[in-house]
Amino acid sequence: MSNTNGEVLASSKRRGLSLDGWAVLLAFALAALVRAGVFKHVPW
Amino acid sequence: MADAVVVPQVQPVRPALQFLKIIPGVLLLGVVGYAGKLLEQNVGKYAKAHHWTFPNIEYVLWAILIGLAISNTVGIPQIFRAGVATYEFWLKAGIVLLGSRFLLGDVLKLGVPSLALVLIEIAFAIAFMTLLGRAFNLKPKLTTLLAVGSAVCGVSAIIATKGAIDADDEDSSFAIAAILALGALSLFTFPLIGHALHLTDHAYGVWSGLAVDNTAEAAAAGALYSDAAGKLAVLTKTTRNALIGFVVLAYAIYWASKGQAQVIGNKATFLWQKFPKFVLGFLLISLLATLAVFNKEQIGALANLSRWAFLLTFAGVGLRTNFRELAKQGLKPFAVGAIGEVLIAVFTLGLVYGAQRVFHW
Repeated sequence: MSNTNGEVLASSKRRGLSLDGWAVLLAFALAALVRAGVFKHVPW
Repeated sequence: MADAVVVPQVQPVRPALQFLKIIPGVLLLGVVGYAGKLLEQNVGKYAKAHHWTFPNIEYVLWAILIGLAISNTVGIPQIFRAGVATYEFWLKAGIVLLGSRFLLGDVLKLGVPSLALVLIEIAFAIAFMTLLGRAFNLKPKLTTLLAVGSAVCGVSAIIATKGAIDADDEDSSFAIAAILALGALSLFTFPLIGHALHLTDHAYGVWSGLAVDNTAEAAAAGALYSDAAGKLAVLTKTTRNALIGFVVLAYAIYWASKGQAQVIGNKATFLWQKFPKFVLGFLLISLLATLAVFNKEQIGALANLSRWAFLLTFAGVGLRTNFRELAKQGLKPFAVGAIGEVLIAVFTLGLVYGAQRVFHW
């Protein structure tokens, strides 16, 4: 594996969560807030 | 914008600093997206008030057009670039939230036929792009990257494959440029073709999800047709994305057998690493909606949050596309990509017509 990929792997291990992981976490945090009634109505 | 075609390099940056760096660009995504929404609401009213004939242009297209205009005229100043690059993050969060609008039964009902079509599309796209790459004498690894990009999921697939097969940065840039340029073109051509052929929302949505390579462009091409088509395009594209690990693993094994890539140790771990986790998030939130964890108003709120996340994504699609930078990457990979994409679009359209008869869409 090239240097760059090694860096990417090392870096992702350091951060713990991937971009996907953070996106899922944000979506579930928002869903929990909606479920708890913090956001009762989201306008569009 | 140069970073439209450069393979991302990770640099060690403190998380707090990284967060501050993305704020200006995220605000720009919000401003461009919201301007698109305002234009959608007001241009039609203005034209009607002045008795002009003006087509109803959706916020999706306005946001992309404003983004394209900025990116291709004044360009994106450095301060905004990190934030603009987060458009994929918002896309994935939006897809997970969109899961609340599908009951799990619907996901299975729609997903199983989509999976069958996706498998046929992937086999055809890989075989065809490989033949085309050979006919045009492209480098074999560049051909692999183009095949994976057009068969599975655009830029993410190319980046995942690049690491697995030890491809050059230059090859990745060529392949990403070709996929991005063709994705931008599909935004304008797919809705026109869909309307010309009077495709139903269902058929058009599945077609966009099958034939448009990058997830952001597939979602946008679907949403440009209708809200229902947008949902179907995202579902079909997500099914395609779920298979990324298997395709990358197959290519990694192939190139390792030729001694031109590292041998994969634990294949299950490799598959898990490459599997897009947002697909699991989508399924989980769909399960929660099926179990009635959310009431009707809450599902409406989640659907609107998903729309806001997509709004940022569509603004990002325009802002990160710079045609001059894409054109600099060379004509040959673009020509191979273009010929391949046209044939894949025609082939998948035939598949959708066939499926329409079988499943009565």
